[in-house]
Amino acid sequence: MGGVSDAVGANFVTTRLDKLVNWARKSSLWPATFGLACCAIEMMATTMPRHDLARFGMEAFRASPRQSDLMIVAGRVSQKMAPVLRQIYDQMTEPKWVLSMGVCASTGGMFNNYALVQGVDQIVPVDIYVPGCPPRPEMLMDGIMLLHEKIKRGEYDARRVTA
Amino acid sequence: MTMTHDVVERFEAQGHGAFVESYDPRDERMTINMGPVHPATHGVLRLLLVLDGETVIRCEPRIGYLHTGIEKECEDQNWRGAVTAVTRMDYLAQLHNEQVFSLAVEDLLGVEVPPRGKHIRTMMAELNRLTSHLVWFGTQALDMGAMSGMFYGFRERELIVDFFEMITGLRMNNNYFLPGGVWEDLPDGWERPLSQILKVMPARIDEYEELLSENPVFIERTVGIGAITAELCDAFGATGPIARAAGVDWDLRRDAPYDSYAGLTFNVPTTESGDVYGRYLVRMVEMRESVKMIEQLVDSMPSGDFKNMDPKLMPPSRAELNRSMEAVIHHFKIVTQGYTVPAGETYRAVESPRGELGCYLVSDGGTSPYRCHVRDPSFVNLQSLPAMVEGGLIADLIASIASIDPVLGGVDR
Amino acid sequence: MSNFETEWVTPDEWRSKAEALKNEGWLVTDLCGLDARDLGFEHRYESVVQLLRRDNRERRTVHVAATGDPPTCPSVVDLWPTVRFMEREAYDLVGIHFEGHDDLKRIMMPDEWEGHPLRKDYGVGKVAVEFIPQPFMQIDAPGQSAMQGESRARLDHLGQVVEEPAPTHDEPAERSEEQTT
Repeated sequence: MGGVSDAVGANFVTTRLDKLVNWARKSSLWPATFGLACCAIEMMATTMPRHDLARFGMEAFRASPRQSDLMIVAGRVSQKMAPVLRQIYDQMTEPKWVLSMGVCASTGGMFNNYALVQGVDQIVPVDIYVPGCPPRPEMLMDGIMLLHEKIKRGEYDARRVTA
Repeated sequence: MTMTHDVVERFEAQGHGAFVESYDPRDERMTINMGPVHPATHGVLRLLLVLDGETVIRCEPRIGYLHTGIEKECEDQNWRGAVTAVTRMDYLAQLHNEQVFSLAVEDLLGVEVPPRGKHIRTMMAELNRLTSHLVWFGTQALDMGAMSGMFYGFRERELIVDFFEMITGLRMNNNYFLPGGVWEDLPDGWERPLSQILKVMPARIDEYEELLSENPVFIERTVGIGAITAELCDAFGATGPIARAAGVDWDLRRDAPYDSYAGLTFNVPTTESGDVYGRYLVRMVEMRESVKMIEQLVDSMPSGDFKNMDPKLMPPSRAELNRSMEAVIHHFKIVTQGYTVPAGETYRAVESPRGELGCYLVSDGGTSPYRCHVRDPSFVNLQSLPAMVEGGLIADLIASIASIDPVLGGVDR
Repeated sequence: MSNFETEWVTPDEWRSKAEALKNEGWLVTDLCGLDARDLGFEHRYESVVQLLRRDNRERRTVHVAATGDPPTCPSVVDLWPTVRFMEREAYDLVGIHFEGHDDLKRIMMPDEWEGHPLRKDYGVGKVAVEFIPQPFMQIDAPGQSAMQGESRARLDHLGQVVEEPAPTHDEPAERSEEQTT
């Protein structure tokens, strides 16, 4: 269910504590700026007044990976960019989640060629895939809300241990 | 302008690190990496900076972090499908990419676009110029610290992008222009949302000017910063607002008109200063001129065909497919195989929001491009960055990058 | 402006031609590499230069052959500094060496990349996409699982059934609790 229950055993207090911790984590996810291409513009549009990502507590896009929880990979990842992506992911502190935005980040998209990594899940473990070219801001918010559900369920620790 | 530190080469071999590459204690110069992940580099641009404190001694742009192989991808698609690849190059001026590619293919084919098609193209391209300049305004303001400018710019962009969705089906990467015209006609009632946009835009642009044009902090940070002369612009090949701000009076819409630009009256702004503030003023005037151009186009929109209905190019209309077997076979051939373009080569150029966007197209008589090379303005404009920033502070570097308005999708293709 | 003058020059003629064009006031707008293997030209590799003259609004194209192995032609970066990045891109993607360019290294591809992608003998690099067909599902009511009569099996990222390890403490009860959400 979550970190504390898995560590010291599940009883009433630890499961309540886990629920509190997971609620806190999902209510204020701070994305790291990883906008690469066209999806980055739609990601910026999601934080803008029409679609307002700030109501989820997420308008603080932190440039420093140490201060962010969520890496939204928005755009196509080229072969040259792949080591940089991995380095930024490694520099993020636990707990961290990855949302792959757009088809280029999820599977390579329409560019099935020599220059792109065919899906960012070949480099980093991905929690949520949001398809689209580019996805509408509403689609990105739907993906983020699904991620919130995932965080509330506390599936985080069980998966990361094996990745 | 090149780095010959062997220390830099060793650090390069270890990765594209976001750390200090070298530090020379004798003259206290630091070689540091800015990017490719950086909030103010407008994408995945990497700059190798040699710094003396806060002063930039040398600046070398390193690109290629968004290279997608679009030119190779074009060779793999047919002539109609290559538009979907080309549109994702400069993703803020997506319709201009489609426009230049379609113009080049029409050149090779020798077909004409009907007047309504040309008008629609010109109108959509000017709207695209508006959205691109609005994003530029937002990011320029954000990089200068005026974060509210970002919200204003994107607020207007939403209005125009809603209109794009109504006409083309998508907000970005529209895949709407094609060789021969545009894909679908304007739907009924298209004038109403567009006239709403045109009614509010001049007042909104006044709002932006009120926010920044006489703001003492903005003036302090942009006047005299990142100045470049017209001779340097020509030497580095910088075109578009950068060149016009330095005094070069050249705009392809006026000097080499294509589509419906020949019938429009508009001004081409230039300033003499060549600095960041000059580029700001040029783009603000360009936004106003775009609004005027769109008004002229709405008033003079002709009726008729919106694409060249040559049966060798276009599939037959949907209603005909119900009536005739030949139409079905024709549709099948056009959609699966595509049409062939006679062998030859051509170079066409249009004025994108960043400068001269060109397309060099070679055909060998087949159903897909043999070589499609796009001359992207940001790729060439970026070469003028070292001349603008060397000798200035890092804060001025940020202002200069924002004023060049590079789009790394076009730079790296 | 689409019917403009095109000419072909050999590498030896290019420098003098370029200097003459520069003196007349021509600017280079674009330079790209071309692998003309299937076009029937005499030589395979070319550097294609697009020039513009603003005073009389003329454009012209010059095809500079790149001969030898590796294909080489002279660089004009001292005449027109704008071609610095363009020649590097032609070197990186098509493999044409420009003599006299002081910084000829890869620009788009990673430095250690081998091969020149835009050559005709270099493939697009498509990766085959594999689809694992799902078993035919007979679903009569919402919430019903595809696996008849069994608890919902775990599928790995390819859609194949994962062998369940022996359950520890409360896991099965907790998982069924989650399925109702």
